Amino acid sequence: MSDPGYSDLVAEHFDRPRNVGALAPGPGVISGRAGSPEQGAEFRLTARVVDGRIAEARFQVFGCPHCVAAGSILTGMLVGKDRDFLRTWSWRELASQLNLPTAKRGRFLILEDAVRALSDNWEKQF
Amino acid sequence: MTHSCIYLDYAASTPVDPRVAQAMIECLQAADTHGNPSSMGHELGRRARALVEKARAQVASAIGAQPQSIVWTSGATESNNLALFGVALLHADKGRHIVTSKTEHKAVLDPLKQLERQGFTVTYLKPQPNGIVTPEQIAEALRPDTLLVSLMHVNNEIGVIQDVGAVGRLCRERGVLLHVDAAQSIGKVDVNVEAMQIDLLSMTAHKVYGPKGVGALYVRKTPPLALRPLLYGGGQEGGLRSGTLPTHQIVGMGAAFALATSEREADAARLRSLRDRLWQGIRAVGAVDLNGDPEQRVANILNVSFHGVEGESLQFALRELAVSTGAACSSGSDEGSYVLRALGRDDQLAQSSLRFSLGRFTTEADIEAAIAAVQREVPRLREIAKLSP
Repeated sequence: MSDPGYSDLVAEHFDRPRNVGALAPGPGVISGRAGSPEQGAEFRLTARVVDGRIAEARFQVFGCPHCVAAGSILTGMLVGKDRDFLRTWSWRELASQLNLPTAKRGRFLILEDAVRALSDNWEKQF
Repeated sequence: MTHSCIYLDYAASTPVDPRVAQAMIECLQAADTHGNPSSMGHELGRRARALVEKARAQVASAIGAQPQSIVWTSGATESNNLALFGVALLHADKGRHIVTSKTEHKAVLDPLKQLERQGFTVTYLKPQPNGIVTPEQIAEALRPDTLLVSLMHVNNEIGVIQDVGAVGRLCRERGVLLHVDAAQSIGKVDVNVEAMQIDLLSMTAHKVYGPKGVGALYVRKTPPLALRPLLYGGGQEGGLRSGTLPTHQIVGMGAAFALATSEREADAARLRSLRDRLWQGIRAVGAVDLNGDPEQRVANILNVSFHGVEGESLQFALRELAVSTGAACSSGSDEGSYVLRALGRDDQLAQSSLRFSLGRFTTEADIEAAIAAVQREVPRLREIAKLSP
């Protein structure tokens, strides 16, 4: 533990987050957004879909270190996944992987909403 | 001194000055100072008493008071409690209204909440956006049944200095008692209870390079002001604070206050220069606000709100720095500092605020490292948090 409140995995992804940013709108690019700073976190996800699968993904988040780490891990995990994965993805496994404090569960539900919004946007575009 | 991180949290607590520690060690190791300072019937008791009285004179001198007006306590929290309950419960017949500000320390606000439950009425003044409570605000809040005004001298979160001298004059004219929480003042700004017409003044050692666990309350002697004690027992401290006096702690507080007096001007000049350099470096990242009046403030505290970053991430990103957030809790609770919210900052900005507080052992290298960390991390976090449309 590098800090009493955060696991090494959280610290690693917080200090060196992967896939930060947003893909420019264009053919095959989908996006999903949820939350607000007042709710404790706001996520924005973008991804490029090629042949029915996600080829790359990016995230931005106004949120705590757990949220930053979650965005980093999730966007890495999305590569190669299809739309069903987005439709059924649950925050619980990631929460357990990151030792998410109970009080912050609402923030990961916001992330789940952003993933669902990404899925809805996919459906709308294709 | 070696630190695992850069300590910029002197307003929370200070390291013990080695000269203070030496005085305490000598007291603890001496063969003839372990007597009870109240055991005046033998030599060892009298030697301990002499040390206690020397320290009492040192503390009194730091605030321009007579030694007999100093009551030893366990720290500023106890001093505040003794002052507030001590006055309210003994003098309730003179009035049950108290005036204070919304930006007082919890060790004042919580006792006052308790007094409200016991039938007192408290007016909590909202400071100006710069953190200052004006004497005019106090004057307007006074009522015929106002018993006491309690106003901190230096705010612990933002470092602004209240004009307690003007408030003292006003209170004396209106026959109202004035209590001042001076936990953050000693060694930073001039304190003179006579000139400022203060009736009760709370102090603590651990903010002044002394040990934790010891403090004092100044209680006006001319004319004498009677208080109801919090603790009953052996009747020490003129019956105001029963309990065996901790000689070595008291020696430490005395030594710390003597140093605070003799080194105040040199410390303040050096810290002002370091603080200004820190602010210059922080300001360079843009979209930051300095909280509290830019002029009427102590030299060692800088409270900054950072726009466009989330508070908890900001603190974790800067974990190589020991600094404070005003936030009540770093995880789960989304409540920002009540002091910053009283100044009109919204919740989100109050959470994205940090207090940098410098002290006697802060070096230029510490400040440069802090600036480098802020200039590296704040733009990085803003990039992550910049949610494009």
